[in-house]
Amino acid sequence: MSRPVLISLLTVLGLAGFVLSLLIGPARIGPVDSIEALVAGGNEAAMIIMREIRLPRALLGVLIGFSLGVAGAALQGLLRNPLAEPGIIGISASASLGAVLLFYTGLAGASFLALPAGALIGAAICVLVLLAISAMQASTITLILAGIALGSLAGALTSLVLNLSPNPYASYEIIFWLLGSLKDRTMDHVWLVIPLMIAGWAALWASSRTLDALSLGEEGASGLGANIPRARVLVVCGVALCVGAATAVSGAIGFVGLIVPHLVRPLTNRLPGQLLLPAGLAGAALLTLADIVARTVIPERELNVGVVTALIGAPFFLWLVIRSRKELF
Amino acid sequence: MKHFGKRVWTGVVAAAGLLAGTAGALSGPSVASLNVCTDQLVMLLAAPGQLKSISNLSRDPTLSPLYEQAKQHPINKGVAEEILLVKPDLVVTGTFSLHNTTSLLRRLNFRVEEFKYSQSVETIAADIRRMGRLLERTGTAEAMASRFEHQLAGLEPLACSRKPVAIAYGVRGVAMGKGTLAHSAIEAAGFTNMAAELGYEGVTAFPLELLVQDPPDLIILPKPTPGAPALADEILAHPVLARLKATVTGGFSSPAALSCGGPFTMDAIQELRALAPLLTPCRKAPGS
Amino acid sequence: MQLTAGNISVSLAGRQVLHGVDIVLEPGQVTGLLGPNGAGKSTLMRALAGQVAHQGRIEIDGQPIIAMNEADRAKMITWLPQARVLSWPISVRAVVELGRLPWHGWRRALSQVDREKCAAAMELLDVTGLADRPATDLSGGEQARVLMARAVAQDTPVLLADEPASGLDPAHQISMMAALRQLAGQGRTVLVSLHDLSLAARWCDRLVLMKHGLIAADGPPDEVMTNTTLRDVYGISARIGHDACGLWLAPLGLTGGESDNE
Repeated sequence: MSRPVLISLLTVLGLAGFVLSLLIGPARIGPVDSIEALVAGGNEAAMIIMREIRLPRALLGVLIGFSLGVAGAALQGLLRNPLAEPGIIGISASASLGAVLLFYTGLAGASFLALPAGALIGAAICVLVLLAISAMQASTITLILAGIALGSLAGALTSLVLNLSPNPYASYEIIFWLLGSLKDRTMDHVWLVIPLMIAGWAALWASSRTLDALSLGEEGASGLGANIPRARVLVVCGVALCVGAATAVSGAIGFVGLIVPHLVRPLTNRLPGQLLLPAGLAGAALLTLADIVARTVIPERELNVGVVTALIGAPFFLWLVIRSRKELF
Repeated sequence: MKHFGKRVWTGVVAAAGLLAGTAGALSGPSVASLNVCTDQLVMLLAAPGQLKSISNLSRDPTLSPLYEQAKQHPINKGVAEEILLVKPDLVVTGTFSLHNTTSLLRRLNFRVEEFKYSQSVETIAADIRRMGRLLERTGTAEAMASRFEHQLAGLEPLACSRKPVAIAYGVRGVAMGKGTLAHSAIEAAGFTNMAAELGYEGVTAFPLELLVQDPPDLIILPKPTPGAPALADEILAHPVLARLKATVTGGFSSPAALSCGGPFTMDAIQELRALAPLLTPCRKAPGS
Repeated sequence: MQLTAGNISVSLAGRQVLHGVDIVLEPGQVTGLLGPNGAGKSTLMRALAGQVAHQGRIEIDGQPIIAMNEADRAKMITWLPQARVLSWPISVRAVVELGRLPWHGWRRALSQVDREKCAAAMELLDVTGLADRPATDLSGGEQARVLMARAVAQDTPVLLADEPASGLDPAHQISMMAALRQLAGQGRTVLVSLHDLSLAARWCDRLVLMKHGLIAADGPPDEVMTNTTLRDVYGISARIGHDACGLWLAPLGLTGGESDNE
């Protein structure tokens, strides 16, 4: 499939997810009325529902899905490991921990920026640790296991901080932090993540040529004139910004960054740098659709969207591991 | 004249109860409470020196109606060891809490009495009486329970052009549906509970969109815990709530008055009734 | 272009690997780099490619390579490392096209010139028929040719190839060396490290032998490949002969041991 065709197809898919997400919700508003209320106003209630409840949710689905897809593809390119993704190797969990540490302990004075700042720092620290492990010529297995260990540690510490919080509801919020949700998000959240994510996307895009060159290994890439240390910094910053911003607003949503690169890779020329944009678009489509499933599969109840992505992603991960066992061992 | 008679009679009963109460002060069992709702009843009914320990949640303004009063009493974290140290004659707790702790305490030969969470205003008086029996403070309890029943019976239907609609909306988007104390209180105050109307039962997730689609007259929101941030408070700041024309209140004299049953619940009901004329044209509700 | 290296010393992990090596590589020649394992061949190549920190001066036509940034250096020197790494199952064509990275950089699309260079490189290494197959599915020998094609596509005046022929069958070894000769014939400066003594002697214009981080011998194969040198550098004895095309060598045994089958 040629690249322009692929990009167009995935863009359409992402837009479809976005529009569907706008049209589906507990308040029964017809499709035409929904769009009218969104764009032109009219019925007061419909306008509030569309603009303040459904629009931020749909936008965040697209933005977060895109960011997780791109971050996953970039990590796989840098670590040269098809099993790397922000959820599995603990980056999302570390972002959650960072956010929780700064917010619940009141360290940042309950500022609106406490959550995203903490999430960014948590994500960055985790990526740096993983890079250090990767630089020690670690095998695929070692890297994944280290990531899982980091994720478990971050999850345990998150639970600890929440339990120690003076607020009685805090310990129940662990579900949000570990399994993610887009429920009742506001346009404030959208404006918060947009600049952070754009910066993240830019950093990752800037590293894309070096990620391509890394297909030939570090020496090969170096011989082609690639600046590998710079690429590492760009990917660390890019992933921290993307995953940190996403987690601050929605909790840890895993597996998106694993599934979409794998689904999309066979349709591209498989160069990691070229995979970034298609993976992002596919991630946007996947997350919006997962969020729709989370809202509709059980009537009267809403699942955490991270549950849906895990239900798809964990078996997929298992299948990948089994399929590639000869290469891993 | 009718009112004057009522008041005299209440006063006589109260005086009698007080005498009976003080008479029982020295002989009643010492008590420890492990649950925030039983804490309230114990604080209201126990004689000086009877109350050995109440739960740490009793000091939380968002969960405990009598949080101010709770500050003078020793607290426990619901751990069996603490109860052992205190050696009460009687332990009271809720049926839904701390199963391991209560079975352990029973095995250690403590007398443990469990109270169901009040699901409706009708059971509050019986709970007060039962606690009174357990604490051997039947006089005080009887007075309190009778007064409550009296006030409940005296709640006349609101004379409003239509029945106002209210909803008790909570942290992370949950609402109090049918079968909760808040529902019962809202109905007793003369409102329709929007969540129950739409078929929601118990404490359950309620979509924000439905609030917008058909806004109620009154939204009862919890108050954030000061100095202790949590995401639960985010819903309180959701811009949608600001744009609704519904009146929003959480400012009862006892913020947690709808989560535990007691005389404060009646105060909350009456505060709600007082709001009704502000929401829809009503003839002034008598005797409020 | 002439590649001049003066007094190159490299230490890795606290150990001195190269001790003041001087070497001059001329264009139009294939220079073979030989020596026992651990002699420092790969390290010398890395230093010449600017990939490892070194003391001493390395210049291309008088211009020090230290002064160049990586992108410019990649347009002057192609380095083909010993380790054959292919991280993703990308097509052979995509691998060869990676060689054009230094030339089109940020621009994603390949120009007509890029495509022509890639096609020519694939033709030279006889991998055109494999163009659409995933490179990871190929045999070791085929992968070696694909990676050499990538190096050729980079189209630089200087080519440094670290053991490109190891693990190849005799036919492919010969065609690899023939390709290198053709590149040298185009005026490039080619340095190739080898283990096969006959191959080196027959296909290289000049041989440089290394031992213990120093240059032990440097000159045309006739002069360098003597039993004395082989004994000193490799510790082996060999039968050396000439024919119309050049030298041939048959290692016989270790010197100073009973395994001497002479």
